[in-house]
Amino acid sequence: MVGILKLCWVFLKIGVVFFGGGYVLIPLMHRIMVDQMHWLSPKEFLDGVALSQLTPGPLAMLATFTGYKAGGLLGALAATICIFLPCTLLMLLISSRYERFRSVDAMSHFLDGILPAVVGLVFAAAFNLGRTSLTNVRDFVLLGAGFVILQFTAIAPMAVILGAAVVGLLLHFS
Amino acid sequence: MGKQIQRVTLAEIASTFFMIGATGFGGGMAIVALIERRCVVEKKWIGHDEFMHGLAFSQILGPFSLNSTTFVGYYLRGILGGVVASVSFIAPSFLLVCVLSSLYFRFHQIPELKSALLGSNPIIIALIVVAGLGMARKKAAGLESAGIAALAFAASALFGVSALKVLVVAGCWGLCKWWRTGRGR
Repeated sequence: MVGILKLCWVFLKIGVVFFGGGYVLIPLMHRIMVDQMHWLSPKEFLDGVALSQLTPGPLAMLATFTGYKAGGLLGALAATICIFLPCTLLMLLISSRYERFRSVDAMSHFLDGILPAVVGLVFAAAFNLGRTSLTNVRDFVLLGAGFVILQFTAIAPMAVILGAAVVGLLLHFS
Repeated sequence: MGKQIQRVTLAEIASTFFMIGATGFGGGMAIVALIERRCVVEKKWIGHDEFMHGLAFSQILGPFSLNSTTFVGYYLRGILGGVVASVSFIAPSFLLVCVLSSLYFRFHQIPELKSALLGSNPIIIALIVVAGLGMARKKAAGLESAGIAALAFAASALFGVSALKVLVVAGCWGLCKWWRTGRGR
């Protein structure tokens, strides 16, 4: 059992420095969790990464996994809160200034310039995911079917996602 | 563009984001696509512009899926709304990781959920594409904006430029344009 305070402090620090999200986190967490704190073995670390990717949450759910190992349920809770605290506070701050930002002329033009780029980034995310996970005809068939359902029907996307997951389980996709 | 008038209850925010957090397997942009679908298109809680601005701010620190959630929550109901949204969004993943971790540290094996994800992955991609198309119709319709969108796509997808850099450059382009056209000087 590691002191919960220690756990909080370490994850709070990680939460402050992970700019740009996701994959910056892996080398950083590896150094701290495995090399410095010895909370996880190298194998546990890799399994933890895989496990946090099984959830809808961000990769930073790795903090929950590490916290669980180091301090049980309470450790998991403390680690999760602390790693997400800095970015949530920053977002609350930005959100609270948002309306005022926007009414400044220069800012509103800056923000308008951003909009088409956001569209590009959304497609880039789909492209990157597709590059790694669309590997055979079956995947493309599912993609096509999913697209038609999501674009042209009002079926809740959650139902479609879970439905496809069940299909994968039942048919033993591998 | 107007301020939202309808007052969304905290319970509704909580249940919406809990559902998103429970089903958005694939994380990241999958979550964003779900929020876009539920909160922008279906419930009309927040406009396209506002949501996309929020998504841009979300790239600064930490996971952007969580940050967009916080942004929408705040937009609807202030600080309390932001906190409720983010906690509800993380809760399902938190519970799932706790259950999986306890199994893992007992049996030293990750449960076999891979085939489920193999089924849902293509759907996630479809969902992101649908959300992207919706945004594109609204915000990348002209030749110039379509060009910017294409450049942003290429920079991010093909050259691995970070999202934050892409957005800052695009924002500066918007500023330059405004200066060049006189900005009412």
